[in-house]
Amino acid sequence: MSNPDATGWQRTSPFAAVFYLGKIYQAIAKNAVQSLAPLAAFLVAFKGDPTTKIIIGVGAFLIGTILLAFLRYWFFRYRIGDNSVLIRAGVFKKTQLDIKFERIQAVNTQQNILFRMLGLLTVSFDTAGSSGHEGSLPAIGAGRARDLRDRIRRMPRTAPDDEAAAGHAERPASSPRTLLRLTAGDMVRIGLSSNRVFLLLVVIGPLSEYLERSAGEIIEENALIEFLTNGEATLLSGIAAGVLLVLGILIVLFLVSIAGAFLRFHRYELVADDDVLRSTGGLLTRHEHSVNCAKVQSLHASQHVVLRLFRRFRLRAKQASASKFGRGSDFLVPLCTGDEMTALSDEFFPQEFSGLTLDPRAAFERISRQYLRSRIGIAAVLPALLAIPVLWGAVGPAALVALLWIPACAFMVWQKYRRYGVLRGQDGLAVRSGLIGYRVVAWLHRKVQRISITQSPFQRRKQLATLRIFLAAGGAIKIPYIEYAKATALRDYVLYRVESSRQAWH
Amino acid sequence: MFENPEIPIHDLPAADNLQWQKLDARYVRRLQVEALITTALIAVGVLALQLLPLPLDRRLFFGGWLLVLSSGLVSLAWPPVSVPRKGYALRDKDIVYRSGVFWQTVTAVPFNRVQHVETTSTPLDRRFSQAALQLFTAGSSGGDLKIDGMPAGVAESLRLYLLEKAGASIEQP
Repeated sequence: MSNPDATGWQRTSPFAAVFYLGKIYQAIAKNAVQSLAPLAAFLVAFKGDPTTKIIIGVGAFLIGTILLAFLRYWFFRYRIGDNSVLIRAGVFKKTQLDIKFERIQAVNTQQNILFRMLGLLTVSFDTAGSSGHEGSLPAIGAGRARDLRDRIRRMPRTAPDDEAAAGHAERPASSPRTLLRLTAGDMVRIGLSSNRVFLLLVVIGPLSEYLERSAGEIIEENALIEFLTNGEATLLSGIAAGVLLVLGILIVLFLVSIAGAFLRFHRYELVADDDVLRSTGGLLTRHEHSVNCAKVQSLHASQHVVLRLFRRFRLRAKQASASKFGRGSDFLVPLCTGDEMTALSDEFFPQEFSGLTLDPRAAFERISRQYLRSRIGIAAVLPALLAIPVLWGAVGPAALVALLWIPACAFMVWQKYRRYGVLRGQDGLAVRSGLIGYRVVAWLHRKVQRISITQSPFQRRKQLATLRIFLAAGGAIKIPYIEYAKATALRDYVLYRVESSRQAWH
Repeated sequence: MFENPEIPIHDLPAADNLQWQKLDARYVRRLQVEALITTALIAVGVLALQLLPLPLDRRLFFGGWLLVLSSGLVSLAWPPVSVPRKGYALRDKDIVYRSGVFWQTVTAVPFNRVQHVETTSTPLDRRFSQAALQLFTAGSSGGDLKIDGMPAGVAESLRLYLLEKAGASIEQP
């Protein structure tokens, strides 16, 4: 790292080139066709034997990317001012960033093995209104990174004067408290409950009955042994090989998923430091994420079938986001028990979470049963009845199979109806939903950005309505088919809380 | 002295029984003109396909002209039905907008959540001296509330009023 020049601008460590090299390879992987097209064109045009072509191609690629990474390091300068971080970057396209401390929602760090040995860190900033990291300082000294983080955290905050805010301001400055630690067993649970593996299981699920039957036949016929010993390709030995292949893929997927959990969350620790929660974890690259509790917009708890089996939850704290779908600024707690989740909720929304819970087993108020009638009519009966005459011409009476869609879809609608629920707290709301598993989202009234009520002709007849609540975390939270009078009363109360609150939503 | 009187929930102001402000009287006509232009463009496309020596089934043109006719009729008939059901109401602390014929929606945006306000106008809007008012709150990449068909002068004065209201309601962090 260089010392600051007369104007205060300084360079990061030359090892930042490693960070940029990683970024360049990531970008190439994302846009493989566009990125590698010039190289491919060169290789096609170049006359020579294939080995020379490959050596020249790979050499040119490596030299080019390393040179670009070094240039990006060389042209990167930063300056830490009184109230902001200034960044100048770019080789051809120059960028100047001025990230005000007050806009920074979270300071995150990453430390790969090389940086760990050299005592360096990559610091990135999440800011209000950006959909991801707005700026990064690669390969700066760990001490300097910690100073910067502490300085941003110490930014003066005017004492709010409403009741909830007063409670927030009065929280005593205390030493960091450990809220959660994940064990090796938890890594296995995270790996086994990974959504990607779960999705694959859903795809393979319908095949399981067939596989079980085949497995029975295989055992009876000793075909597996025959296949393994003689290698003769009979029909049954083919099925046995198929079963082995699927099982093998599943085992490999689970192992990869568990390894991924170790890589990302090894020695995961969640610490509360005043009003900031900080998580650290990772086997090769240590990730440190932090979130200012005051900036959290909503809490999302999820529990799909596998997590339900383990009696665990996944918790996400969402911050303000410019992304339409609210991606980019989530603070993830990959695994926690119900009790830990309750304790964490109180940390995120101190003193304002009374009467609320993220536990899906709580006494949520159900939506109207008319939801069933409407949804089954639209999603189950109507498509089936329309499909029959269309299919009849092609397949004849076999078109009646379309009627099977009705009970299948009705079951899904019933599942969704049973899971939908609303829980009202003193200062916020929680909404439960889901199809197979559960999702619960909770937020405070004072964080709401806008609110709408919609009525379809059917809902108007039944005096029902759908309430939509929009938060700065992006997207809408829907409460369908509640009584119209309740929906309007709730809307008016939320508006009253938003408009009378003197505390900021962020 | 500090006072903190309790507010009965039933006394909260309701966002339903409001004096809804109607959109510009010529907004129906403007929508009809826009729809006719679109229909005319589709008609030109269908006609071009019919005149070109292409090996196309004649039934395709029948379908095309049916589409032109039906879209023309619907786009002429729909605005007089939908526009009167749209309206906005300004209250002391929020703006409320209603829309929809079959699916009726009422949206409320508190002033202290408005990030910025825009007015936009297309050439056709300007021909009719109209503009659209767009309010942005946090957490959305698009406009949160868009009120089309306002008289341009009203939209501009409303924009300035909303900006003033939003600026006056800056909260403490």
